[in-house]
Amino acid sequence: MAFVHRLCLQGGTKIDKDIVDYALDYAEGKKVQYVEVRANSQQRDMLLLRNGNLEAYTSAVDSGFCVRILANHGIGFASTNKWTKEEAREIVNLAYKYARSARRREKLVFAEEKNVRTRWTVGQKRKVENVPPEDRISTLMDVHKALTSCGVKVAATMLQCTMDLVTKYFVNSEGSQISSSVPRLGATVFVSVVEQGKTEQAFEQFGYSGGWEAFSRWNIPEKMVHDAKVLKAVITKAKAVRPGDMDLVCGSEVAGIAAHESCGHPMEADRILGREMSQAGRSFVYEYGPYWLGKRIGSEAVTIVDDPSIENSYGYYMYDDEGVKARRRYLYKEGMINEFLHNRESAAKLGTKSNGSSRSVNYDREAIIRMSNTFVMPGELSEEELVEDINHGVYMKSFTEWNIDDKRFNQRYVGREAYFIEKGELKGPVMRPVIETTTLKFWTAVDAVSKKVEFEAATCGKGDPMQGVPVYTGGPCIRLRGVYVK
Amino acid sequence: MKDLLSQTEEIVTKAKKLGADEVIARTTFGKYRQTRFSNNQVDITVAWNDYVTDVTLAWKKRVVATQIHSFQDVNVRLRNLLKLAKVSKENPAFGGFAEGKFSYARSRADKKLADLDKPSEYALEAIGAAEKEAGAKVECGGILFTKYEDVYLASSGGPMGVDSRSAVELSIRAFAQREASGHGVECSSTLKNFKPARAGAKAGRVAKLARNPKMGKEGVYDVIFDPLILGSLLGIWGGMTSAYNVLVQLSVFVGKLGKEVAPEIVTLSDNPAAYSVSARVFDDEGAPARETVLIDHGILKTYLHNSSTAKIFKTKTTGNAGIVSPNPWNIEMGPGDMSREELFKEVKNGLYLTNTWYTRFQNFAKGDFSTIPRDGIFEIEKGTIKKSLKDLRLSDNVLTMLGSITAVSKERQHVHWWMEADPPSLAPYALIRNVHMTKSK
Repeated sequence: MAFVHRLCLQGGTKIDKDIVDYALDYAEGKKVQYVEVRANSQQRDMLLLRNGNLEAYTSAVDSGFCVRILANHGIGFASTNKWTKEEAREIVNLAYKYARSARRREKLVFAEEKNVRTRWTVGQKRKVENVPPEDRISTLMDVHKALTSCGVKVAATMLQCTMDLVTKYFVNSEGSQISSSVPRLGATVFVSVVEQGKTEQAFEQFGYSGGWEAFSRWNIPEKMVHDAKVLKAVITKAKAVRPGDMDLVCGSEVAGIAAHESCGHPMEADRILGREMSQAGRSFVYEYGPYWLGKRIGSEAVTIVDDPSIENSYGYYMYDDEGVKARRRYLYKEGMINEFLHNRESAAKLGTKSNGSSRSVNYDREAIIRMSNTFVMPGELSEEELVEDINHGVYMKSFTEWNIDDKRFNQRYVGREAYFIEKGELKGPVMRPVIETTTLKFWTAVDAVSKKVEFEAATCGKGDPMQGVPVYTGGPCIRLRGVYVK
Repeated sequence: MKDLLSQTEEIVTKAKKLGADEVIARTTFGKYRQTRFSNNQVDITVAWNDYVTDVTLAWKKRVVATQIHSFQDVNVRLRNLLKLAKVSKENPAFGGFAEGKFSYARSRADKKLADLDKPSEYALEAIGAAEKEAGAKVECGGILFTKYEDVYLASSGGPMGVDSRSAVELSIRAFAQREASGHGVECSSTLKNFKPARAGAKAGRVAKLARNPKMGKEGVYDVIFDPLILGSLLGIWGGMTSAYNVLVQLSVFVGKLGKEVAPEIVTLSDNPAAYSVSARVFDDEGAPARETVLIDHGILKTYLHNSSTAKIFKTKTTGNAGIVSPNPWNIEMGPGDMSREELFKEVKNGLYLTNTWYTRFQNFAKGDFSTIPRDGIFEIEKGTIKKSLKDLRLSDNVLTMLGSITAVSKERQHVHWWMEADPPSLAPYALIRNVHMTKSK
């Protein structure tokens, strides 16, 4: 059957480096301050199952290239998926025209960077290309079968799996030339449970940079069956919490989403500088405001990092989409605001260097400042030690509804799997407990952190048009003292 | 244009010859442009040209799809696609693609939107209007977006046609102070009657009114929803009428066909009309796109369908394909008989919400959710705006809110912005009683 499965995730339009180089040469012939050409080829296979039926199997390649030009202190960007020199000239001319017509009062410059000539890849223990479509389908079918035979009344399931092979080629007028290749797998599972005429629902996401070995690491059937049983318990056994101040232990999933929403996002420098003001919003952090670098935002137990260099993580990369080397960023360090996420434009505005946070989902989107893998750093306690010191409280292991305001200060997390804590022991399930509080109160209330970090895959949304980038959120368990839970 | 239609049709013919049972090919040549601005200056102008043919075929109820970017690749791609179908899995719920020969309404797309000569001028006009309302120190950000697409569709079931689709959207947010902002949008399918200053003036006006906000109080309020925030809710309610979402319980409307889901004053339709930024004459199966009444005077009349979901529900497609999932194109709420001013007079003590973002659900089937109002939040006393507020969250339930709509304005606005008011809608002002607002503690 080899001939059959090889037809997926291969073939199609490849990156034509000659056209990319031609576009760079052509643009450099104009009065430009800076030019980059970024090509991207994404081979994607996608399966979608609804209630156990394979709705569709999609296998497609999307490839194209973009030109970004800094000229007359304005920026123009144009892209195409037509691989001809004529089209290359057209998009260069468009980008150049747009850059020159910006008529900005404040002149744009990019922070300096050394040029880089390199190639980086992510390996696969089991190549996705070598997994036959039938096996891919049956792997997903097994999740549905596990859910519908676990003794819980499952009313609906929806499963989606994506397998991407992303290759990139980046060149700029400073002499950088970077090639990369990343296989990336993602899966989302939704389950709706109906017991006693009541419904509870769960959504899970899985992500990995690497090969098919992802599925054995994820163990989706076991995780989803656990979720289904939790939902049943929520319907049949859970009790509402009596609202009031109490201690709260957040599991890694909740700690991770809080780190992403109320640390990662507000530390994006483009947001701080107002560049996202009309869509994703601004930040509670701004110059001459109450919160800035060196100001306290949490307790000393709180250190949150964003790190693209975690191997096989969903948000992994070695160089960002401006050709800047990736590294770990300490956003909150021991409770203090420590470092923003930067690209070259924001770094120049704030008099610093880019820390490699510029990402784009495809050739037809501008690279903007993004998170990668954002998580709370571990402490020294075991999870049991976190709980045993609590007289009355709640352990919120996972969440359903969540959101945060566009200055990233007022947030809310509603528990999905949650338990009462009484005299240091976990008791029965809690019905959708809610914490609705500010970033300052949330992180200041943390007094202890456990030692085991776990990650969840997520798709982070930002940009207009929307760019959903793969990320990890995560952390250990964190203990908050005396917060209002309802 | 005929050449491209012929080439698209040829893909269908070839796939049939290779053994496909049913085939749809849709070629899109799109030109999309966007100018982004913040702090009253243009940050970047972007252009993206897209050339693609989407091909979906079915073989013995196995549905597979691909994209073709060059007509030279067609033979190889189709052969591979058919091989993939043969090792894929049967979908018993596949109900075929739309069948029949249709004549479509003439497209009214505006060719000028393929390439505006000076797109940033529109942005600057909106900024100027905001400054006029809120003063020169107001900080504005937003986007101007234009679209021009030629779409060629051929299907083995009979549908064949050409559609041109255009849109122009301006979205502007103005900050009179750090925590005093307003948001305005201007959306149209053509440049005619497109007035960016209208959006800028509204953003500036709301921002000015929102100055010096006080912390809001948790409670239950009668709330007037501006068309912009109502547009966000309409998008969510409309999405929940997709039969696909009903089948997977991502909807409050499961089992509610023919039942009362709102008061008599509420009529909701999906209508990809010529004025809309998502105007179209056919759906992704080639079925004519048309107006569909979803909620008629409070009664849920139908879900939105493609051919497959229609078969499951023993009805006909509503022209809303999505090959896999039917989607709303443009939700319209029927007008009421009150003016905006009369609507405000109905409120003794309440709130006026102008915009929202980040709507998330605990449970789609039950409809429990929260969303975070942003930009102007105002306290209303005896029909008049008394105070600017901040830091409130709307935490309520879809069916409860639908059931509590008590008045709707005559005037309506076509709104769409980012992913928050999406799909686009034609939204009035609406008064909804007893809305639950919460806040951080």
